[in-house]
Parts: sequence; C-alpha cells; structure tokens
Amino acid sequence: MNLFFFWMLSLSLFIGQLILLGILAWRKQRTNRKESSVDRQYNELTDAFSSYMMDQDDTRFLQQLDASPDKLVVLERLLNHYVAVTKAGDSSAVITALSEQYLAQRYAKLLKQRNWAMRMNTLYFIEDFRMASLIPQLNERLAKHSTSLDQETQQLIRTLASLNEPAAIEALAKYPEAPARLYIDVFKRLDELTKLGELEAALEGSANPALKHAAISYIGMAGIMLFLPRIEQELENEDPETRIQALKALLHLQYMNNPESLAPFFRSDSWQERMFASQIAGALQLSRYKELLSDLLGDPIWWVRYSAAQALTQFSDGDILLAHLSTNHPDRYARDMANQWKTSLLGSEQ
Amino acid sequence: MQEAALIVSYIVIAYMLFSSLSYLGLFALAFRKVKREAKLDKRESTEDFLRNQATYPVSILVPAYNEEVGVVSTVRSLLALEYPEKEIIVIDDGSKDSTSLRMIEEFKMTKIPFAVRMHIETAEIESIYQSSIFPYIRLIKKANGGKADALNAGINLSSFPYFCAIDGDSILENDGLLKTMKPIIESDGQIIVTGGSVRIANGSTISRSKVEVIGLPKSPVVLMQIVEYFRAFLIGRLALSHLNILLIVSGAFGVFNKERVIQAGGYNKNTVGEDMELVVRLHRLLKEEKSKQRIEYIPDPVCWTEAPDSLDVLKSQRVRWQRGLFETLWTHRKMMLNPKYGSIGLVSMPYFLFVELLGAVFEFVGYFIIFGGFFFSLVDPQVAGVMFMVTVFYGSLISALAVLLEELTLHKYPNVSHLVKLYFWALTEAFWYRPLMVLWRVQGIFAAFRKKAHWGDMKRKGIST
Repeated sequence: MNLFFFWMLSLSLFIGQLILLGILAWRKQRTNRKESSVDRQYNELTDAFSSYMMDQDDTRFLQQLDASPDKLVVLERLLNHYVAVTKAGDSSAVITALSEQYLAQRYAKLLKQRNWAMRMNTLYFIEDFRMASLIPQLNERLAKHSTSLDQETQQLIRTLASLNEPAAIEALAKYPEAPARLYIDVFKRLDELTKLGELEAALEGSANPALKHAAISYIGMAGIMLFLPRIEQELENEDPETRIQALKALLHLQYMNNPESLAPFFRSDSWQERMFASQIAGALQLSRYKELLSDLLGDPIWWVRYSAAQALTQFSDGDILLAHLSTNHPDRYARDMANQWKTSLLGSEQ
Repeated sequence: MQEAALIVSYIVIAYMLFSSLSYLGLFALAFRKVKREAKLDKRESTEDFLRNQATYPVSILVPAYNEEVGVVSTVRSLLALEYPEKEIIVIDDGSKDSTSLRMIEEFKMTKIPFAVRMHIETAEIESIYQSSIFPYIRLIKKANGGKADALNAGINLSSFPYFCAIDGDSILENDGLLKTMKPIIESDGQIIVTGGSVRIANGSTISRSKVEVIGLPKSPVVLMQIVEYFRAFLIGRLALSHLNILLIVSGAFGVFNKERVIQAGGYNKNTVGEDMELVVRLHRLLKEEKSKQRIEYIPDPVCWTEAPDSLDVLKSQRVRWQRGLFETLWTHRKMMLNPKYGSIGLVSMPYFLFVELLGAVFEFVGYFIIFGGFFFSLVDPQVAGVMFMVTVFYGSLISALAVLLEELTLHKYPNVSHLVKLYFWALTEAFWYRPLMVLWRVQGIFAAFRKKAHWGDMKRKGIST
C-alpha cells in the first residue's frame, strides 16, 4: 500500500475539483449577471409593450426594443408571458406579426440546433405565436427527423396542427402506434372549418381505429351537435371500444334523438357499457329506464352500482326511490349504495 | 490478528474504490438525460395537459397521525394545485390529537354513509366525512393501523385511476402533480409509477405552495442533508431509473396506478419502508408478468419537505430508512441475483444490498480500522493512512463532486455563495456527518431484527407561510 500514491491521487483530485469549482462559480456569476440584465430590460419594456398591444400606432415599444441589447430574448419573454396570461386561444395578430418580424429567422436556425430542449422550446413558441411562415421548415424537419413517434415528432405534429395544417393528421397516421390522445390534440388545434372536414373523414374511415375513437371522443368533448346522428349510429358498431366511445360522447352531448337505442346496453356483458348507459339515463332523465337502473343498483361491479344510484338521484322522485331501495332492494350492496346516495351528493372537482 | 485486520482493510479499501468508480460510471449514464432536459421550458411542456381531458384524474391521499398542526395547511396547499380533476382524501389513522376535528371545522365537513370498496383489508373504518365547501375533500377516521394501513384505506375510498400519497410535512409545487403525471399521460398508461424528486425546504421561502426564494439553511446538519441528497440522486438513482431498474423511489413523491397497486396487494403493513417495498413489489409483478409497463423517475424536483435539523430526529429517520431498506430486500430476497428478474435481480438488487445497505457496514469497519491503526496498532499505520485517504475520498471528495455535478447540470441554487458554501461543507462530510450516518445506518440494520412498525415522529415547525 503506497500512502504517497493515495496522497497524490487525493490531492490532485482536490485541486482538479477546485479548478472546476472556480470555472463553475465564474460561469454562474456570468449567467446571473446576464439574467439580471435581461430581467431589467424586460421590466423596462413592459409598459411600452402593453401600450403597443393596445395601440399599434404607439411605436415607442419598437424603438425601445431595437435599442435593447438582448432584444430577441426579451421579446420572446414578453410575448410568451402575454400569451400565457391572456390564454389567447385565437392568438393575437399583433403577437404573430411581432414574432414573424423579429423571431422567425432565429427560430428557423434553432430548429436545426443540436440541443433537443432548445428545439422543443422553439416548437412550443412557434405554436404559441402562430408563426405560419415556418411551416416549410417544420415540414422539412418532420420529413427528416421523424423515424419514431418520439416527443419531438409529437410536438412537431401539434405545432403544425396549430398552424392549421391538415397534413398533421396524415403525418400522425404514418405511425400505427399513434394513440387517440394525439389525434385529439390535432383536432383541438385545427380551425373550425378544417376540423369539421377532418372529423367527418375520420368517422367515415374505418382503417384507423385510433383516429375514429379520437374523432368520436373529441366530438363529445367539444359538444359538436352536428355529428349527433353519426354518433348514435356508432352505437351499433361491432367494435366494443367504438361503442364505448360513442356512449361517452353522448353523455357529454347530453342529448339523444333516439333514446330507445340505449336499451340493449343496460344488459350488456361489458360493465363499461352498463355504466355509461346508466350515466346517460340519469343525465338525460330518461324515466323509462328507472326500473333497469334499480336493477343495476345490484350489479356485481361497483362502478355500475355507483353510476346507477347517481343516475337515480337525477329524477325528481329520485330521493323517494333511493330511500325505498335502501331498505327494500334484495341485494345488500345495492342497499348500501342507495343509502350512500340518498343522503349526499358526492362529487369531485370538475 | 493483525493479518486478519490487514485483509479486512484491503477488502474495505477495495470496496470503497470500487463503489466510487461505480458512482462515477452511474453518473456518466445519467448525465445525458439530465443535460438533455435541463433547458426545456417546463411550463410550456405541461400547460397543454391542464386543459386536456386525456389528463387522468388523480386521488391525493394524505395519511395523518397526530398532525393537528399541519394537516389543514397541507390540504390548503393541495387545493391550490394546478390539475384538471382531483380529489383529496385525508386519512386520520386513529390520531390522539384533534387532527379530525381541525379538518371537520376548517372545511365544514359532514359525516356521510359511503359504500367503500374493500380492495385491501384495513383496520376498522369509523366514519367518513365530506366537505360541504369542497365536496372533493374527504376524511376517513379509522382505527390506528400504521401508515401503510392508512394509505390502503385511502386507496379503498379513492375513486380515480391514479393516486399519490403526500406526507403532512411536504408541500407539493403548484405544477408538481402535472409534471409527475406527464410521463404517465404521454406513455398512455405504460408507465405505472412515476417518482419526482423531493427537495429540502429549510432555508427557502415557500408561500402558498410556491417557492418564492431558494436559499440555504444555516444548520450544518441540514446543509449536509442537501449534499447527501445531491449525491444519492445525481449519482445513482437517476442512472438506475434511466435503465428502468430503479428499485426504490424513497425520498420521492410518487404517483401510482391504482389498479396495479391493488393487484400487488396494496401497501405492506409489516415494514417501515412501505413506499420502497411497494415499488419493489410492483417491479416484481411486472417482471413476473413479463409486462412492458415501466416505473420512471423524473429529475425535476416537484415536492418540498422539511428536513430534520436535530440530530435526534435525524437519527430516528435514518434508522427507520435503513430498517425499511433491509426489510424490503429481505422480503424480496428471492429476486436477488435471480436471472428471472432480469436486470432488477442481477444489477439493482445487488446494488441496493452492497452499496445502499451494506455500504454502512464497510464504512463502519473502515473507521474502526483507522482508529485502531492510529491508536492501537491494529494495523500498520501506513495501511491506516491509506484507509484514511480512501475514506476521505469516498466520503468527502465524492460528495463535493456531487455538488459540482449538480451545478454543472441542474444548477438549482441561484447564488455563487450557495455553490461555494455547499462545496466546502461537503468536504467536511467524512469527518463528522458521515461517521454519524454510518453508525445510525448500522443501528438501523440491527433495528430491523427487533422492532415493530410505527409512525415516524418529528416535531413540525411548518415550512409554508
């Protein structure tokens, strides 16, 4: 055992660490200084920016911005903050114009950056600021980069959709594993007209189940009544998942042209179908199904019992019914459930 | 005698050198992922989930035992969480103080008859309350059964597909739940557990679930816990998670897939390390089913907790952790070096056994030899000298390196003075903090043979204003 060797090893590691510490401290100081300078510029520009957003003839902001040493970083922050605060779903034309004028070139370069996080941030900003001039670069990136449906490809597709590129759906459909969630993300971002066309096409097609499920689900979420008859048709679809999505959508739409078509679902083998049928019967107050709901209160599946009881509370005589069932239902679990619902309305934050 | 001591010395020295090298190797593995995500705008990457119906609803479980001081502020902070749909379930595990009363008064709770599904057997449920102001806050009053039992009762009452458990002394960041759920949502349920890391709140200013100013505590004991956390997290945990073999999400805030947890049998009441034991059991379940589902650890800190600043409390915490680790490894000893469990059995279990559990024993022997060599001629002073150098290298230099690596990758402490202070405190580790930890961790191993499960005791000062 050579003590000297270990001494020297430790000492040299210690000196190495001290050097690293020095470099890191220097780097930290420099970044902090830069950061506080950017903060100061941001604060100085905030008022002029607000005025400019109200009245674009007030060009003080543009002059001050041009004089700012870190104008691109500061502008990006101002725009991003504005978008986050106003939650501008239909992004303001002023934001788009400013970002196109100052940031488009920078973003075109950043999209080719090696740093993954920087590319991702750029994609988020292009989406937030609705910078349509970058569509060709995005498409190019999608064609070159996307061998798998990784986070970056997903965001590329979302960003393209936010710029109203219907090709986003085609791009997504290239990946057989693409989940319905991503198609919904695309539908959400397209503008009204394009969206309706794409939803129609998705409902007609049957080759891509995820796309179809996403369309049905989105129609429910967004409450697009126009498609109600199509959704009701899907109740007869052979694919169980499509039927469940259709039931879920009807629950959201809160309306049915033909409530009779709900009847078979109360006796379905699938507990999810029984559950949704119960929920719809309650939400639409379909009193013809009261008896079936009373039966389902004794269903072997807890969620079905829960939904049936909840549905019964929706009827004007629900409290009387539940009080009766809480003592007279032949099933013990049904009596428990009726008991729970008769006294309280249980909910979760919506 | 001297010869035996010499052999033991060589073994300990080899062990420490080998562990140090494996630490560095693991860090190199984790470095890319941390560096890759360091510049990502976290706000941008999660804001979409806030208004998204694909964001699964989550039940938040708050097990409480004699938490009358903190329970209301914990629940208040949870109310402020940014998340589309959640419910909060406080489980009063037979507290002797007025934990339940505080909840009932503050949130105007009334008793409700609730048809609880008994997925997992628990101690008797006395009553269930619901808030009339926020109907999604509920309280279970039950007979005492330990923390694991309380959590199981919470699982039984919860109505959502995912749950997370949070201690009364922790504050979740506003977007913490969203950040932790992100991998689950993005994997469409293929990830069944995510753990986000916990940071030490002492020294920072937190108000209304938001960290206003990040700072360092004055107490050296707490400072050292921060260094220790860097070391465990950056060197080790992250790399193991990257390889999908992270066994233990201890010291982390986690979200769990409820169905999987119920399938695995819920939390184990017979261990003090119920959270780590559950993660190991879930890994085991996945391996036995040959499932492709995963468990993931995210580098982002999402939760702040109050670290003990008294040696007594720290001691009982460490003894408990070590005991939990021992019990977990013992319960699942069948997985150790068993090729059936793949890399979990072949790499992860041995890592936790030799580095995290038995490391303390090796180091204890090391300190013994240094002492014995210098003062009682137990070994050649030259050997004792080498042992001393290696101990300083293993204890102090590696920890100091962890501080530097944190600055290189995450740099979460804002000032240069923070960096310098942490670095120099880290250098002192081998001389006072580490010997104490080593001693307590060895005691923890012994305690595993003796004691029964109980709630950890800590005097709360409160971390939020």
